[in-house]
Amino acid sequence: MRLYKALVAVALGAVMTATGAIAATPSNTLVIADAIDDIITLDPAEVSEVGGVLASQQIYQPLVSFDPADPTKITGVLAESWTVSEDGKTFTFTMNPNAKFASGNPVTAKDAEYSIRRVILIDSRISFIFAQFGLNKDNVEQKVRAAEDGTFVFEVDQKYAPSFVLYVLSSFTGGIVDSEVVKQHEATLESGGNDYGNAWLKTENSAGSGPYVLTKWDPKVSILMTRNANYWGTPPGVERLFLQHMPESATQRLALEKGDIDIANKLGPDDIGSIAGNGDIQVLEGVSSTMYYFGLNVRNPALTPKVVEAIKYGVDYQGIADTIGKGTIKVHQTMIPDGFLGGGINYNPYSLDIEKAKALIAESGVATPIKLATVVWNVPPYPDYAQAVQATLSQIGVDLDLQVVDGGPWLDRYRSHDLDIWFGLWGPDYPDPHSNAKAFGNHDPSDPDGTKGNLADRFGWNSGKVSDLVNQAVQEQDVDKRKALYDEAQRLHTDTSPFVFMFQDSRKVAMRSNVKGVVLGITFSDDRYGGVSKE
Amino acid sequence: MPATLPRPLKLLLDIGSWLLTVAITLIGLAAFTFFIGRILPIDPVLSIVGEKATPEVYQRVYLELGLDKPVWQQFYEYVLKLLRGDFGVSFSTSRPVLTDLLAFFPATLELATIGLVIGVVLGIPMGVASAYWHEKWPDHLFRIVGLIGYSVPIFWLGLVGLFVFYYKLGWVSGPGQVDVFFTGIVPRVTGFILVDAAIAGEWEVFGNAVSHMTLPALLIGYYSLAYISRMTRSVMLDQLSREYVLTARLKGASEFTVVMRHALGNAAIPLVTVIALSYGGLLEGSVLIETIFSWPGIGNYIYSSLFSADMNAVLGGTLLVGIVFVLLNMLSDVLYRTLDPRARSAA
Repeated sequence: MRLYKALVAVALGAVMTATGAIAATPSNTLVIADAIDDIITLDPAEVSEVGGVLASQQIYQPLVSFDPADPTKITGVLAESWTVSEDGKTFTFTMNPNAKFASGNPVTAKDAEYSIRRVILIDSRISFIFAQFGLNKDNVEQKVRAAEDGTFVFEVDQKYAPSFVLYVLSSFTGGIVDSEVVKQHEATLESGGNDYGNAWLKTENSAGSGPYVLTKWDPKVSILMTRNANYWGTPPGVERLFLQHMPESATQRLALEKGDIDIANKLGPDDIGSIAGNGDIQVLEGVSSTMYYFGLNVRNPALTPKVVEAIKYGVDYQGIADTIGKGTIKVHQTMIPDGFLGGGINYNPYSLDIEKAKALIAESGVATPIKLATVVWNVPPYPDYAQAVQATLSQIGVDLDLQVVDGGPWLDRYRSHDLDIWFGLWGPDYPDPHSNAKAFGNHDPSDPDGTKGNLADRFGWNSGKVSDLVNQAVQEQDVDKRKALYDEAQRLHTDTSPFVFMFQDSRKVAMRSNVKGVVLGITFSDDRYGGVSKE
Repeated sequence: MPATLPRPLKLLLDIGSWLLTVAITLIGLAAFTFFIGRILPIDPVLSIVGEKATPEVYQRVYLELGLDKPVWQQFYEYVLKLLRGDFGVSFSTSRPVLTDLLAFFPATLELATIGLVIGVVLGIPMGVASAYWHEKWPDHLFRIVGLIGYSVPIFWLGLVGLFVFYYKLGWVSGPGQVDVFFTGIVPRVTGFILVDAAIAGEWEVFGNAVSHMTLPALLIGYYSLAYISRMTRSVMLDQLSREYVLTARLKGASEFTVVMRHALGNAAIPLVTVIALSYGGLLEGSVLIETIFSWPGIGNYIYSSLFSADMNAVLGGTLLVGIVFVLLNMLSDVLYRTLDPRARSAA
């Protein structure tokens, strides 16, 4: 028996040694919980992961930006003003004389020149964002330049809508670095070329003009940013931003309720639901431009226009949004997300209508059951959506052979269009409607398999008039006319395309109620913490 | 009688053959992991450049990773580098893999060691008690405790533990190694947060780290306790039924001496192996525990590297775990010889 008593004593002792927890974050630090183990670089010329964009958004600033509440309002940041030449091909920016970097150096056209050029020159993985303007290694020095008079000149290969070019420049790829500082840290690549400071900026240093500077990135663990002492704007209300890797939603919820973190960026629907009653917590609702859709490969002769339309009536959009999405998604059936220029047209013509769908299939003359090879990623929520769609489609004689696979094969099958249906998501690369319109609406006869990223072609669809409209829109100089073109293109696209857009993410970010001034962005992670304070 | 070798020479030969075994084991492990990595349907280039990069960028990274060379040559070059102590660079952290391992492994080692101590200190007495009071209530009780630890999913226990002891009762700190207050205060010397805090004399940080570590360490401890107590029980049951136990009792030895000295003394030999293996298992890092507690350990490092096809990181991590197992094996061999007089005389 003595043995037993000893055991109990030891067990109790172990618990008792635990000291009480201090449950509050430091008042000068904003603690943000997120999943950041996917970040591989913080160099603004190549940053692309969600967490990386979030961090670089606080450190670097673009030439121009827009109001997340009204994206048609484009405002200068590092550029004070700009003009567009008659032919629409030359953009000239006058730099903001007040702007300066964390180093104290003024922000000049030379810095803009260096920053934009290096995206192309280092062959960055996101160079495609600028390469679409006809920029390449051979012409970038001539087309992207600081002029004698101190302005910055950005030349594109053809006439585009100015808003398109400006939105692209406003994206995280357009973050301007301090060229004087970065040039001091240029290194030679193994191949003998210049790395344009990539190695220096990638993990340990920053050279931006934003409200914060990078203090320490501990890969897969945390990112610490400190207030930029030389910030030229209104200094933020907290001294430090601490981005902590906390991948589990339930853990984030407990830590948020307990007060150990200020913002929980990765809460699932269940956890968002369960904190609703907590008075210490506020939930900010924003838009996210991520959309969930499935594409039908119309190379399959069974997928005639009638059958495609029937399938669009065979999905219980609202039901899925309510039961699976639980407020994290809203029904959205057009190709441009709400929040973007041209978005918000509220055109959702389809809802579950089994009888109508059956009638359409009967009209099509295609024999049922129609068996379709369907590929879906094995990560929530995709399989849940796919199963719900499978259940209703089976009632109209369309049988989905659901193949739930890993991310790798999922993307491979998508690229090689070796399937009938692909369930996936789409997030634009820059906050301009063209990112979506080009992918889903543009038809390129020279690239019938869509290897260059035209999804319409990848799914075997000649988008015809939609393609004309989106290509007209991207060149339209007048913002309102451009918007009208997207309106027309979207309705036609939704009615005729083999893409079934289902939902747009509604972002819900939970934070302690004493946190003020967070501005949620409109792409996946361009939230702005520059004006944050804690009361 | 064969001519006996002089002692130093024999020792040298022993060490030589041991090193050879270790080398073959590790190269085999590296080869296995390497080729599995090549079969996996994850494209390392795509995971670096993303889905939308231009073909030129794809090609650049493809060449940078050396994927244009035949797989055999890639492996050969990897092993050559390895022999020079170069584990390569992880593309997801842009740091040498060795630096990464030194950053992530101590957190796991610290947690696993404390967990194992809990497992041994509590598990062995529980196993002994179970065997001694075989089929009586202590046995039933400890078996149920062990069964729960062994069969309840650890992530569930982790979440419930956080909910009760962190959220509701506030007895322990939550996820992470220390509070944000204390992050970065202690200079990194050994990488073990408790040791570093003690070296720096930052006792407040030390206390905070203990508070953060308590729950995950207890869980890991519980998990290893469940295994160790079950093994101890079965080994002890076997020993207690031996004739020498009866002899000892007949000679009038006290029950304590019979159980703790004679039976446990003999049971210790197989238990050393059990403990060493379960320590090895803990040192691989528990992905689930590390995820729930936001613990910057080796398990999560290997796991997230695998998902981004960061093969240098995966290989480095796997080799580290392999080395740990080899070392533990060696240690248990040494202990085995010390504990077992027969093994000693045979040597």
